Amino acid sequence: MKIITCYKLVPEEQDIAVKADGVLDTSKAAPKINQFDLNAVEAAVEIKSLVDECKITALSVGGKALDNPKARKDILSRGPDDLTVVVDEKFEQTLPHQTARVLAAAAQKTGFDLIVCGDGSGDLYAQQVGMQLGELLAVATINAVSKIVSAEAGKVTVERSLDDEVEVLEITLPAVISVSADINEPSIPSMKTILAAGKKPVTKLAAEEIDLAEIPALVESVSVLAPKQAERKQIIIDGDDEDQVAEFAEHLRKALK
Amino acid sequence: MSKLSNVWVFSDIASRLPEVIAGGVELGEKVSAFVIGSEDEIAKAYSLGATHVYYLGEKDTSKIIEDYAETMAHAISNGDTNTLMLLGATKRGKALAAKLGVQLNAGVINDASEVTVADGVTAKHMVYGGLAIGEEKIVSPVAIVTIGNGVFEAGEADSSKTGEAVSVSFIEPKAAIKCIERRAKQGESVDLGKAKRVIAIGSGIGKQENLQMAADLGAALDAELGCSRPIAETEKWMERERYIGVSGVMLKPELYLALGISGQIQHMVGALGSQTILAVNKDKNAPIFQYADYGIVGDLNKVVPALISAFKG
Repeated sequence: MKIITCYKLVPEEQDIAVKADGVLDTSKAAPKINQFDLNAVEAAVEIKSLVDECKITALSVGGKALDNPKARKDILSRGPDDLTVVVDEKFEQTLPHQTARVLAAAAQKTGFDLIVCGDGSGDLYAQQVGMQLGELLAVATINAVSKIVSAEAGKVTVERSLDDEVEVLEITLPAVISVSADINEPSIPSMKTILAAGKKPVTKLAAEEIDLAEIPALVESVSVLAPKQAERKQIIIDGDDEDQVAEFAEHLRKALK
Repeated sequence: MSKLSNVWVFSDIASRLPEVIAGGVELGEKVSAFVIGSEDEIAKAYSLGATHVYYLGEKDTSKIIEDYAETMAHAISNGDTNTLMLLGATKRGKALAAKLGVQLNAGVINDASEVTVADGVTAKHMVYGGLAIGEEKIVSPVAIVTIGNGVFEAGEADSSKTGEAVSVSFIEPKAAIKCIERRAKQGESVDLGKAKRVIAIGSGIGKQENLQMAADLGAALDAELGCSRPIAETEKWMERERYIGVSGVMLKPELYLALGISGQIQHMVGALGSQTILAVNKDKNAPIFQYADYGIVGDLNKVVPALISAFKG
């Protein structure tokens, strides 16, 4: 079985600052592997353990951050056997319908039986790329996969956790599945896997090297701004002696009503 | 705000149908609802304000909802050129939205918190884990939007509104998925997002034993307990479902009381939807006080026991 696991590099959310005008400042936020995609990689590793012959290729499209050797080693230390990156300046800030189309072209070039994606990305969280990718490739595709039940050549069986029920689905390959964030606990790379990652093959493709049709204009980003904050009373009691605590308790009592 | 001549709507969960139809009524002159299920459900869609019902047949347990994407896409493409499809932002709603987006060459926006129609459809949704709101404009003729809870106010059902449903024949999907079993979900664990009162615990709590004190205050105030990311992820003192903020829970309670929370923006985005924010922190300069309605600079070990005795039964 040939598995592709897709991932995106996103800014470390803990280091994003909000400027006074509401614009986000990501300049101090280093790129990291999107948390939800770690679940996808882990699920791919789990499927590999269930079938006889299997190879996992990590796949990402984006800008120059994908050239960073440390970021490449990071993804490879988590289980994939090799890595393919499609790097172009114009893929720096792609919208979901664009990302899906570039991934589809790249996946067609590398070939696959199963593609595993995460639930969404920590930045845009559009939750569309995996499903659109499957639909563009005209293969079976489903989201919210919460458990891998079994895997064999040509077929996987999964559980899908929905708002009101759980579906058990038998999926004939080729297919694209998007896994939920609670499907597994991504394992932390060991020193051994980190060292081995440096020796794994990396293929870098330019935009011209994949068969990418013109991407239609479907959605445009208008703005990304921090929400306006509600006015707060800001009554702060400076000290915790008995009267002061009683005063605070009184405010709390009123707020409970 | 201008209206589209027709808005298509669908909800995979019956309880979300009223809101989705309300959205259609607000944004379209006509509202065309896709219905899967019984005759009653056709009547219900009309009573809620649908002007046309496209009936996809009885529920068929061998099919999954996503199998209807081709059927819906076909009906939509036979209608008005410029149109909008509204769905509830459920897992199935999002899966259908993505499939329809590709099949109809349409722009898709998920989890919309606001939808407007001007020259095209514009929607807002949370990005960067809630740090910001992204506004996107769909420039394709067909727009697909999934809407979050409470975006449109459900209208009253009016049983005098009726109509005939148009039967739509099923189109086999290109790549079907076989559903071999279906079962009800196990009882939900805590859903902090729906709690009316929340006490949030931060690193200032000091040691794990002090959680008991916070739990006692929670019992006295009838509040759920939540926490900051370090308490759940680093200390692992509380479950992951309880951490508030970016990539965690987004709260909308009447009351939020922070105990030993410093007030980093990544935590606060999950708490800013609270009606009243109260904070206890020993550091006068903690950012939490900038977001608070009421705050007290003091020692948790003194303040919390005093509050427990003040509010105990």
